[in-house]
Amino acid sequence: MKGIAKGLGVTMKHMFAPKVTSAYPDVPIDMPDRFRGVQYFEPDLCIVCNQCVRICPTDCITLTGKPNPDPLKKNKVIDTFNVNFEICILCDLCTEVCPTEAIVMTNNFELAAYSRDELYKDKEWLYANNTHIRSENSTNLSPAAKGGKDNGSER
Amino acid sequence: MAIRTEQLLLNVGPQHPSTHGVFRIVVTIDGETIVNATPVMGYLHRGTEKLAEQLTYTQIIPYTDRMDYVSAMTNNYVLCHTVEKLMQLEVPERAEFLRLIVMELQRIASHLVWWGTYLLDIGAMSPFLYAFRDRERIIHLFNELCGARLTYFYMRIGGVKWDAPEGWLDRVRAFVPTMRAQMAQYDALVSGNEIFLARMKGIGTYDAQTAIAYGLSGANLRCTGVPYDVRTHHPYSLYDRFSFRVPIAHSGDCYARYCVRIAEIHESLNILEQALDVVPDGPIMGKVPRVVRPPEGEVTASIESPRGEIGCTIVSKGKDRPYRLKFRRPSFVNLQILPKLLIGESMTNLVTILGAIDIVVGEVDG
Amino acid sequence: MSMFVSAMTTAAVMMGITLGFVTYAIYAERKVLGWMQLRIGPNRVGPWGLLQTVADVLKLLLKEDIVPHKADRTMFLLAPIVAFVPSFTVIAALPFSEHLLLADITIGLLYVLAVSSISTLGIVLGGWASNNKYALLGGMRAAAQMISYEVPLLLSVVPVVMLAGSLRLGDIVQEQAGGFWHWYIVPQFFAFGVFLIASVAELNRTPFDLPEAESELVAGYHVEYSGFRFAFFMLAEYMYVFAMAAMTTVLFLGGWHAPHPALDVVPGVVWFVLKFVGVVFFLFWIRATLPRLRVDQLMGFAWTVLLPIALLDIVVTAIVQSIIR
Ligand code: SF4
Ligand code: SF4
Repeated sequence: MKGIAKGLGVTMKHMFAPKVTSAYPDVPIDMPDRFRGVQYFEPDLCIVCNQCVRICPTDCITLTGKPNPDPLKKNKVIDTFNVNFEICILCDLCTEVCPTEAIVMTNNFELAAYSRDELYKDKEWLYANNTHIRSENSTNLSPAAKGGKDNGSER
Repeated sequence: MAIRTEQLLLNVGPQHPSTHGVFRIVVTIDGETIVNATPVMGYLHRGTEKLAEQLTYTQIIPYTDRMDYVSAMTNNYVLCHTVEKLMQLEVPERAEFLRLIVMELQRIASHLVWWGTYLLDIGAMSPFLYAFRDRERIIHLFNELCGARLTYFYMRIGGVKWDAPEGWLDRVRAFVPTMRAQMAQYDALVSGNEIFLARMKGIGTYDAQTAIAYGLSGANLRCTGVPYDVRTHHPYSLYDRFSFRVPIAHSGDCYARYCVRIAEIHESLNILEQALDVVPDGPIMGKVPRVVRPPEGEVTASIESPRGEIGCTIVSKGKDRPYRLKFRRPSFVNLQILPKLLIGESMTNLVTILGAIDIVVGEVDG
Repeated sequence: MSMFVSAMTTAAVMMGITLGFVTYAIYAERKVLGWMQLRIGPNRVGPWGLLQTVADVLKLLLKEDIVPHKADRTMFLLAPIVAFVPSFTVIAALPFSEHLLLADITIGLLYVLAVSSISTLGIVLGGWASNNKYALLGGMRAAAQMISYEVPLLLSVVPVVMLAGSLRLGDIVQEQAGGFWHWYIVPQFFAFGVFLIASVAELNRTPFDLPEAESELVAGYHVEYSGFRFAFFMLAEYMYVFAMAAMTTVLFLGGWHAPHPALDVVPGVVWFVLKFVGVVFFLFWIRATLPRLRVDQLMGFAWTVLLPIALLDIVVTAIVQSIIR
């Protein structure tokens, strides 16, 4: 009986304790800066080096490049860039290796959709996903990208 | 004339509230008494070990997150640790400290999940929410540290991905006394409750010999009085630097397993307290070649996960991917004793016994 | 004819009150459970979530009425009604205040306890007719549990009847007038304990919710029911919460009487409702705290603990009464 009475005391105390639930989705949940959410992709920065495709453990990035429209430049530019969020596990490896921070993580995590097709995100969608961009991303920055660019500016 | 009775074949699971995921037990019952039980597993089999043969070592780590999804940090660690052992890599001290801290936090979080869900199985609803509230604190700490709430992918071969953010270690330090106070509440709510004791005492009993014969580990072994804990018997990481007890119990029943796990939370808190005071500064990543390519050879390492001894064997042919990779998954091994324990018990005890083994189906099925 | 009309009106009013009670008992239960579990409970439908249950019931009514192919159709359809109707007829005999009672039956107590045990049949029937193994186990557990607990429940009210000298519920309440020291909870504390425990068991509520133990039997006897048939089982369950809380109030807590004669200015109904709410809250409170018993422990508890206490109580009451006389 004593144990039960003690237990009743605990639940009664919790009845008046502050509640710990959050009012999501009425109040959005702020994730800490390092949170790995849906990626933001900036086509202009991408050098089509294919490193992200090679590192991705689930093979969910597909990209194609095309010759630079500017005839003076010899490099390639990105043509299509798709991430399949059906299988992306948001592991962070693509953003970790990208030498130019063309692909970076954001803190957005709402991906629910009614159809699987909607989870197939293309370059435009990823470019438009430009809020809450994470401040630290690549650990593989090329020396050229290290100078000048301030990545945290959008936050 | 006697009433004709018949045995009933009952499928418990794969969709059943108390099988903790997609696990199935085919039981034959006579009234409410189980006369036969056959566990059926594999509904969550994803072939992690086979997939790993096609992935580079770094790419395998996120897959280990998903094996025992309640305790991703220890899974990360066992893989990294095994590869490091094979390559004889030095891990910087600070990285090793961070690993140890997150592993102990993970142990607490995992035991809290067990505590909550186990009591839910037994029929008490509130403990589940209390436990998850406290686990949420740990998850939030992890989220700040590595940006994920469940599949952390925090450890890398040769170190960790992130250094602790500003003030993070202090927040962990503040967490320790909070958690201790919560534990007192938990004890008041549950540990002395007569109904609860009546449900657990003397249920699912086995002795040390049986436990060893079945290869049980973790709390399932220690509840029979065998003080085997990889952390003290084959120290890895920095566990030899700290003093802590390996909690044991002697009765070998569900209640003993309960007590062992609760005591383990306290010990983890002790370890955390000691570790937080001596975290050195320094790099968080060792000198690791850009492409991890261990030498040819075979290596096995094991550590203490919240569920028992988790081991990893790698056969390397000198490539950047393993030739063969095998995990010793404690949930799977511990589950083997289930049919033996179930025979002769009632349907209600099925839930009590299965819950006390503490399985995570992701790990059972691999 | 006018008698008939007025009877119908009262019945309708009573129905409204009890349905209102069920609606808000479910709401209050969810709120209280929520608060005790550090949540806020339902808060989306209507102000403070007040219309949550209404929405739930509407949803249930709109749902397809599924009868499993292999079920015993007639029985399956009949079971919820068998469970529900007695729960509602019980209400008729409950006195809420001196003048507020529908049927003043001389054997009111017996009537309530007898009629309420019919519902067990509905539950067993539902469990059997569903042709589902879990439902069958749930139904069997319900039968065993409710029949075993009926015995201590009945025996625990015997001392009360002995003290009051009447089976009429109104008389029992009248005997407890004049302050809380006259309430039967004081002389008959053990009987009160037995009654409370046995009534929780009769209600199939935590810690005695074995027939519907969701962690073992998924949902027990009503696992195959959907839509408004499921609603009927729910309704019956909460109707009995209403009846049992009212019975506890009437038998042991002095019914509509104030705790002190000085407080008699407050109408009796208010006191009745206060005590009643207290009992209902207690039911929610233990639901938030306690785990579930095991079948054998449950039966053992009824036969080896509650029954002897109840019997002993009767004997002691009889002896004491004869001495006092
Ligand atoms: S986050 Fe991981 S899984 Fe997703 S696209 Fe990047 S590398 Fe692939
Ligand atoms: S790694 Fe970065 S730069 Fe290279 S292809 Fe991928 S997104 Fe473009």
